[in-house]
Amino acid sequence: MTMADQDLRIERVFDAPRELVFKAWLSPEQLAEWYGPAQFTAPREGIVVEPREGGRWELVMVQGDTGREHPVRSRIVEMVEPELLVLENEALPDHGMGVTRTRVEFHDEDGRTRMVLTDGPYETTIGEMAGQGWTGAFDKLAAAIGG
Amino acid sequence: MPTDQLSRTFAALGDPTRRQILSRLAESEATVSELAEPFPVSLAAVSKHLKVLERAGLIERDREAQYRPSRLQIEPLGAASDWIDGRRTTWEERFDRLDSHLQTLQEGTNDDG
Repeated sequence: MTMADQDLRIERVFDAPRELVFKAWLSPEQLAEWYGPAQFTAPREGIVVEPREGGRWELVMVQGDTGREHPVRSRIVEMVEPELLVLENEALPDHGMGVTRTRVEFHDEDGRTRMVLTDGPYETTIGEMAGQGWTGAFDKLAAAIGG
Repeated sequence: MPTDQLSRTFAALGDPTRRQILSRLAESEATVSELAEPFPVSLAAVSKHLKVLERAGLIERDREAQYRPSRLQIEPLGAASDWIDGRRTTWEERFDRLDSHLQTLQEGTNDDG
């Protein structure tokens, strides 16, 4: 059995050159096309990207059925075009998330791109939230996990 | 499950020694001295880790037996991994969309010559 890791790590190979995959993370028009997970959209008008280290990287995810808005506010802490992008994400108490980092590596594989994403840490996240008394978020979290 | 159970679970899992202890317990139950064997730390330090794991609901210790062997409790680990699975699903869904977006983008480029 495996124990919970500190960070979530996901890899996928995309059939596109890494310059293109990298740009999909920084172009507001393109983020609007793909960043919302299933049942969500990320409207273009809510997206702000300042493509430089220290720049803002912000969007609003809108829930398809309820129209509820979930703002995502991040800063670009590292950017090496077209190899690496590191975002520091503000806490999202409604989602049971504290401050996290999203690190995205873009590896060239003969014209295709292996994208390696790590996101976390989650246990610090939840520990910090406990310290700040965000009990409402925990109730939602407990409900979400069937607690 | 109490609302702060998940935070205790994650806090307990945040320490590498405790994760190794849990890995060892995934094989079989064990006493404090058995658990302390691979680590360059005192029995007291291992006992402390066990207390944290017990409070987090990750292990159960026999109150009666002389050596109080520890046993792994699966349920809180399941809740923690379910939560992480939710995050994974979100990213996988985004990657699916990114994949079709990149294909559309490249088809468009080809069409435009």
